[in-house]
Amino acid sequence: MQVSTKWLKDYIEINCSADELAEKFTMAGIPVENVIHAGEGLEKVVTGKIEELTPHPDSDHLQICQMNIGEKDLLQIVTGASNVQQGQIVPVALVGAHLPNGQKISKGKLRGVVSMGMLCSSDELKIEVAPEDYVKGIYILPEDTKIGVPVAEVLGMDDDILEFELTANRGDCFSVFGLIREAAVLLGENPNFPEIKVREDDEKNSADLIEIKIDAPDLCSRFSARVLTDVKLFPSPKWMQERLEGAGIRAINNVVDVTNFVMVELGQPMHAYDYDEVTGKVLNARRAVEGEQLHTLDDSNRLAKGGELVIADAEKAAGLAGVMGGFETEITEKTKTVVLEAASFNSASIRRTSRAVGLHSEASGRFERGVNSNATVTALDRAAQLLQDMGACKVCKGIVDVYPVQKNEVKVQFTAKQINDRLGTSLPEEKILDILKNLGFKISEIDVEVEPERVFDKISFAAKHLAKSAKELSENNTVDDFVKNIGSTVGELINRSHSDSFTTYEAVVPDWRNDVTIMEDLSEEVARIYGFDKIPVTLPKGTQQGRQSKIQNFIDKIKFVLSNLGMNEEVSFAFTHPDTFDKLQIPADSELRKAVPIMNPLTDEFPLLRTTLIGSILENATRNFSRKNEDVRLFEVAPVFFPKNLPVTELPDEVQKLCGLIMGRKDPKGWTQNNSEVDFYDAKGIVEELFEKISVERYTVEAGEHFAMHPGKTAVFKKGREILATVGEIHPKVAENFGINKKIFVFEADIETLMKSTSKKFTFENLPKYPAISRDLAILVDKNISAGEVEKVIAKSAGKFFKDVTLFDVYTGERISADKKSLAFAIKFQSNERTLKDEDADDAFKNILSQIEKNFGAELRS
Amino acid sequence: MENKIEELRKSASDAIKNITQDLKELDNLRVKFLGKKGELTNLLRGMSQLSAEDRPKIGKIVNEARAEIEKLLAEKNSELKAKELQKKLDSEKIDVTLPGRKIFQGRLHPLTLTLNRVKEIFIQMGYSVEEGPEVETDYFNFEALNLPKDHPARDMQDSFYITEEILLRTQTSPVQARTMQKNSNNAPIRMIAPGRVYRRDDYDASHSPMFTQVEGLVIDKNITFADLKGTLDFFCKKIFGDSAQIRLRPSFFPFTEPSTEVDVSCVMCKGEDEHCKVCHGSGWLEILGAGMVHPKVLEMSGYDSSKVSGFAFGMGIERIAMLSYGIDDLRYFFDNDTRFLNQF
Repeated sequence: MQVSTKWLKDYIEINCSADELAEKFTMAGIPVENVIHAGEGLEKVVTGKIEELTPHPDSDHLQICQMNIGEKDLLQIVTGASNVQQGQIVPVALVGAHLPNGQKISKGKLRGVVSMGMLCSSDELKIEVAPEDYVKGIYILPEDTKIGVPVAEVLGMDDDILEFELTANRGDCFSVFGLIREAAVLLGENPNFPEIKVREDDEKNSADLIEIKIDAPDLCSRFSARVLTDVKLFPSPKWMQERLEGAGIRAINNVVDVTNFVMVELGQPMHAYDYDEVTGKVLNARRAVEGEQLHTLDDSNRLAKGGELVIADAEKAAGLAGVMGGFETEITEKTKTVVLEAASFNSASIRRTSRAVGLHSEASGRFERGVNSNATVTALDRAAQLLQDMGACKVCKGIVDVYPVQKNEVKVQFTAKQINDRLGTSLPEEKILDILKNLGFKISEIDVEVEPERVFDKISFAAKHLAKSAKELSENNTVDDFVKNIGSTVGELINRSHSDSFTTYEAVVPDWRNDVTIMEDLSEEVARIYGFDKIPVTLPKGTQQGRQSKIQNFIDKIKFVLSNLGMNEEVSFAFTHPDTFDKLQIPADSELRKAVPIMNPLTDEFPLLRTTLIGSILENATRNFSRKNEDVRLFEVAPVFFPKNLPVTELPDEVQKLCGLIMGRKDPKGWTQNNSEVDFYDAKGIVEELFEKISVERYTVEAGEHFAMHPGKTAVFKKGREILATVGEIHPKVAENFGINKKIFVFEADIETLMKSTSKKFTFENLPKYPAISRDLAILVDKNISAGEVEKVIAKSAGKFFKDVTLFDVYTGERISADKKSLAFAIKFQSNERTLKDEDADDAFKNILSQIEKNFGAELRS
Repeated sequence: MENKIEELRKSASDAIKNITQDLKELDNLRVKFLGKKGELTNLLRGMSQLSAEDRPKIGKIVNEARAEIEKLLAEKNSELKAKELQKKLDSEKIDVTLPGRKIFQGRLHPLTLTLNRVKEIFIQMGYSVEEGPEVETDYFNFEALNLPKDHPARDMQDSFYITEEILLRTQTSPVQARTMQKNSNNAPIRMIAPGRVYRRDDYDASHSPMFTQVEGLVIDKNITFADLKGTLDFFCKKIFGDSAQIRLRPSFFPFTEPSTEVDVSCVMCKGEDEHCKVCHGSGWLEILGAGMVHPKVLEMSGYDSSKVSGFAFGMGIERIAMLSYGIDDLRYFFDNDTRFLNQF
């Protein structure tokens, strides 16, 4: 919705600037998005007549104009335009003008000829609703245009335009009248609405000429029509064109312009039918049949889906109601008789149809927000009046009006206390009533059966005041005076408790407001007019314990630990694509491929919800890699989505996952670093550190499998049968699929499983009182024996003084045979009761040795 | 004898003075003069031939000479040691302007950092943090919030649908309805619901199909619009600093009545720069929507709107992060470029 202040000023006095008015509207809940100021950039553009036109001596396409701009001397301007002729009146930008398109005009020479300005096109002047010929060529003004006057005045651009971005609930403000009603309250002025009066100067009765039917009363609550005869088509008067242009609507002809004018003025969309083209002289609001042909006025043939509301004559649908008229019944040069329609259509139905057709018109926008079905007749009268006043028609007697179920008056009960309680204000009752009355609510006091709670309110109110008054009186009065005065105090209190905020009122909601139905709506009306800025600032009373859930704390902890381990947190979209599954080598039958599909994805790129975070993290690594960010250390905690069934019929499972990735250098590039790259054990170390910090203990690690990982470099962390985490090197094929020719290491874990596996309670352990004894064990074993297994056997066979074992060296190479590896462990023994003797450790050591010999064929390395 | 001692003292003193570098030489001198077979010791041996009268006298002189030589030796010794240390220190000099050894620093995502600040403020004010599913039913996402099907306000939130009845939540408000329905007997609520939400918006500098929201809900007896205003004023001052002002503009949301858009005074220019790039000269920045909970929303989730009232608000974490850090393109958040992430 946009409107010029000129149109508003037709009906109300406005003594403030457009910006101030916009601010007032905005702060009262009628948001003005933008103010286009009068003739902005047109200050130095005037009308000028081309007195002489001569070709430029040195150019084929330039012409030299001698311009009469109402001054003594002619002004010489060189133009490149081809659509100018001598005698025409055109807009002239003078030296110093700064046009709306940003162009600055200065004195210049074009191929040696002095030019003192520029002739302008509509494009350069930013006139949006100009005739098409003038967009690129010079805007040729009418012959009778005054010379030497500001072009803004001539073009009706001497006015500010308010562009509203109205909220969905205020359909009433999609009209000049609606805005005037608001402005009247905000400015404290009385509006001057035009008198709507029509002379029915044709003997014929509308009702005899046209039959109106409503076959779909649920979609059309009212259908009113009037017939106009002897219709003459011509351009509508300049004042009307200007107002329509200000509202962003292009003038077409008087009949169409009037229907548009009334729509903007009253908010009631209208449609004009060529009566002679209406077959059977009947218009019926009915549902379209599936597959029905709809020939709309844009001359396209549409097929009805079925169920859309159409206005049909005896043979065919003559338009999609409220969205687009029909082709055959459109007003043309030949039109002699017109049927004017003003109807009230169901907003949901209009919304569906206009979305389906992809057409949002001024009319459909108004119907979607709801129009006042009581206003159809006024609209018909206003349109007839305007056409009649310009001598464009005769008006038949009467109105054909089908209005099966009259709209009910909406009544809302309230007390001032309820409103003040909701707002946290203490507005006097009169103030509240005044605001509502000014907005058109009819207020009356009503007798209601008072609820017990309210009686209590009244009594406690009275008691409090009585006690206070009695105290004051007793302090300053003799007993006689006290008795005399207390009587009048009680009387006063009884009066006040009646008149004060406990009185119940009934507000009759004005019929143009379909958004007010309950007391809470009234409280908003009071608040927005009183001013949100004047509402006090308080905090809710009482206290509660603020907290986060355990899992939220757990996730926060994981993020904290990982960021302290040099990992950056990433946030990526929850969407994915089957191609990503292929790139990750996810097996065809894997559950991970059964992703939740999105019905209406934004682009073909993202049709699914992700089932793994590895795809996103690899994509992020790829992006960084391609940007030469070589050291990438990322992690993410986010849900993945698994459908309970496909196709989806219920909410999918959302499972919180952790995923991390490292690639590039072990340490940041620097003069002290050897620039070695991260390896598997860096990734595994991060997981181990994390587990220690979040108290995941007593897990085992073994070689494992993962579709996207190197088969020989994948480890699973387990507790019992439960997999806590998988860590590994990305399979070189997968890395290649993502376009990375470097080693990438990734880990993955399930948040809930991790949380279940944390040690319940942390307990402090006393520091040892007695020293420990350490023994180093260096052995040779077969290459394929895993160190983890050896460690397990050591732990098991080390006896009661065993404390811990640390692998401190692994060697393969020329000094030992090719199928062997050397492992060196430091084994620690300690007792809480005494200082151990060498024999204690020696005994244990012997046992360990024999066990690993037995289990692994290990030999002691000399 | 006395002369001999004097001679010895002098020659020792000269010899010690002449040493400039070598600690070993100094030690040799010590041996030479004071050692078991040293010259002074030799002199002392000759003492036995002295008379009993002279002995104490000469003894005293010898001891004095000894003390003096020892003192000279000690002085020289510390002088040489200091010199030697100085030499060592000089030789150990490094270029302290070379950069220190780096370790990788990890960072929390700026959205997490911002969300943590928001959570902290509200937890301190007694709010609990609630969560709900990202894939929601149409009922919880829209209908329970007074947004029936075909409501024009649904246009404001273009949704990703999974089925006709299941969608990616467009707001975290469904968590409010879920929390209310878990409660009974009009139990008071103070909660925030942070989380990712999804709207079918093209991806550009100010729109993203996925973003982060925090919704808040307070329900209790006698909760007023003034309480809402006070709460948001407090929050904005905590987030943007004590000088931050808020401005409430009436608006429309189907789930609140009255409804308001909330602006905060421009964090960049404080409303003083007509050409400010952040607020475009208006002095205000829109940061959240709020209002008093619509009675229908209360009733639909089992609360009695005649007994309790409440307020609700919703804000975008990206918006607050952009204003806090001066980020001008939303896409940075989801691009995950390490050069961006490393800045926080």
